[in-house]
Amino acid sequence: MDNLLVTNNPMVLEKLNSSYAIKFIDVYCYIDVLTCVRDLVHKGHTLLTHPLSGSIKPNETPYKSIIVSKEISTLDMKSLSIIEHSIATYLKFTKNKPTPIYIDKVLLDFQLIDFDIINSL
Amino acid sequence: MKLELGRINIKDVVLSDESKIVNGVLNVNANAIKEIVLKDERIKNVTIDIAKPNDSTRITPVKDVIEPRVKVEGNGDIFPGMISKMNTVGSGKTHVLSGCAVVTCGKIVGFQEGIIDMCGVGADYTPFSKLFNVCLVIEPVDNLTPYEYEDAARVAGLTIANYLGELGREITPDVVEVYETLPISQSVVNYPDLPKVAYVYMLQTQGLLHDTYVYGADAKKIIPTLLSPTEIMDGAITSGNCVSACDKNTTYHHLNNPIIKDLYSKHGKEINFVGVIITNETVYLADKERSSDFTAKLCKLIGVDAVIISQEGFGNPDTDLIMNCKKIEQEGIKTVIVTDEYAGRDGLSQSLADADPLANATVTGGNANEVILLPKMDKLIGTLDYVDKIAGGFDGSLRSDGSIEAEIQVITGATNELGFNKLTAREF
Repeated sequence: MDNLLVTNNPMVLEKLNSSYAIKFIDVYCYIDVLTCVRDLVHKGHTLLTHPLSGSIKPNETPYKSIIVSKEISTLDMKSLSIIEHSIATYLKFTKNKPTPIYIDKVLLDFQLIDFDIINSL
Repeated sequence: MKLELGRINIKDVVLSDESKIVNGVLNVNANAIKEIVLKDERIKNVTIDIAKPNDSTRITPVKDVIEPRVKVEGNGDIFPGMISKMNTVGSGKTHVLSGCAVVTCGKIVGFQEGIIDMCGVGADYTPFSKLFNVCLVIEPVDNLTPYEYEDAARVAGLTIANYLGELGREITPDVVEVYETLPISQSVVNYPDLPKVAYVYMLQTQGLLHDTYVYGADAKKIIPTLLSPTEIMDGAITSGNCVSACDKNTTYHHLNNPIIKDLYSKHGKEINFVGVIITNETVYLADKERSSDFTAKLCKLIGVDAVIISQEGFGNPDTDLIMNCKKIEQEGIKTVIVTDEYAGRDGLSQSLADADPLANATVTGGNANEVILLPKMDKLIGTLDYVDKIAGGFDGSLRSDGSIEAEIQVITGATNELGFNKLTAREF
């Protein structure tokens, strides 16, 4: 419980809530997780996992889970650089094409892939 | 380590009552393949089909492409630690069925896997349209988890590739290629005036449908280590990833890595190619630091002057790529990085999600966001159920006339970051 997991993935919330302190964002959109993490980085949390983990592009999956330190310290510039680059990448992809609205079966598969990335750590 | 690769040129593949190779024609007994595959109780059914170059055939969703090989002499068997016993491979003799491949297909998740078109404009983007493909469409038993399904499909593909490779055991190869990597101390004595060059081989390792295996070990758990290039030709590295198929290395890519081939071709003439350092692409930033630290340290310890670094994937691995490049350069070692680009459909956006001034020598495999219109094919192997949901596809991408409008990232191997494709960009 030393780390904080920021996610909008219900499967991660359900299956990993005993392993992590979870900040759950109950919205469909990937960018809300990125901006939440950016705000946490500004407050002194350190980024622990890469925000663009997984090969599914930011405009393809609605789900994202990112781990940051629970501990607050001084602003970590490396974390800030990575999260800002990730937000820029998200905006680049969604400019091409916004994230589609998917059928439930596909949503569950996207949840599974995002869950497995965190669960494999 | 010295390996003789004996290439048997396969000129055609046909379904037959008996599996055999006759005058370069691979005869495939579909029932025999089915029997082997169905030994795995996780698989409910497998459909075997043949796709030939210039056929009006679309194969999708592609999971892996594997070249049939068999170990004829020397330690171990093909794909050690995966479908054969653990034993260090890369020495002796190996026979290769050149010009054909096993292609596995399966709807493991509701999106993502790739397309191989055997003719038309899409065929130009994938090297696998030029091969005679033995396709296995694998259906799982009811309620099998995606993890088990992925594992079963992966093992089935490797097993059948080796089954077909066995048919070439007693056949005299058409071409024999010899590759040898000496101990570094010896190599340096042999070529005192040539720059010592290593290859840093980054492997995708992020979880389900994003994994790579080294001698059967999940590569996300390894720390960077040194391999002889010949080990890779014998199947030491196998693919478990196909998500966003344009820049993922199939097992075929690993077996035929063109960077390794080119480095060998210059070995002893322009450079002294001393070996391959494999490393991973993890999710934890601390793991990235460890892996890139170890990669740079290994480069320094073995005393190389320059390295080629190849990436697999986009986004998260861009950070690994730049970390590797930067830390190796900071050891005074020259680097060239090989990547691909997601530069937007107009090609004007920043190509990578990370960058550094030390990454000043870059080779690209092309822009994965480029849009393509794939014409209708007469025959489909696999399913189009989820074409709208695969990477690069978008709502309505499957048109009523059977054509598909999508980004080239849907095509297996289109922007491959080993350079196993035709696309690049040049600066003049």
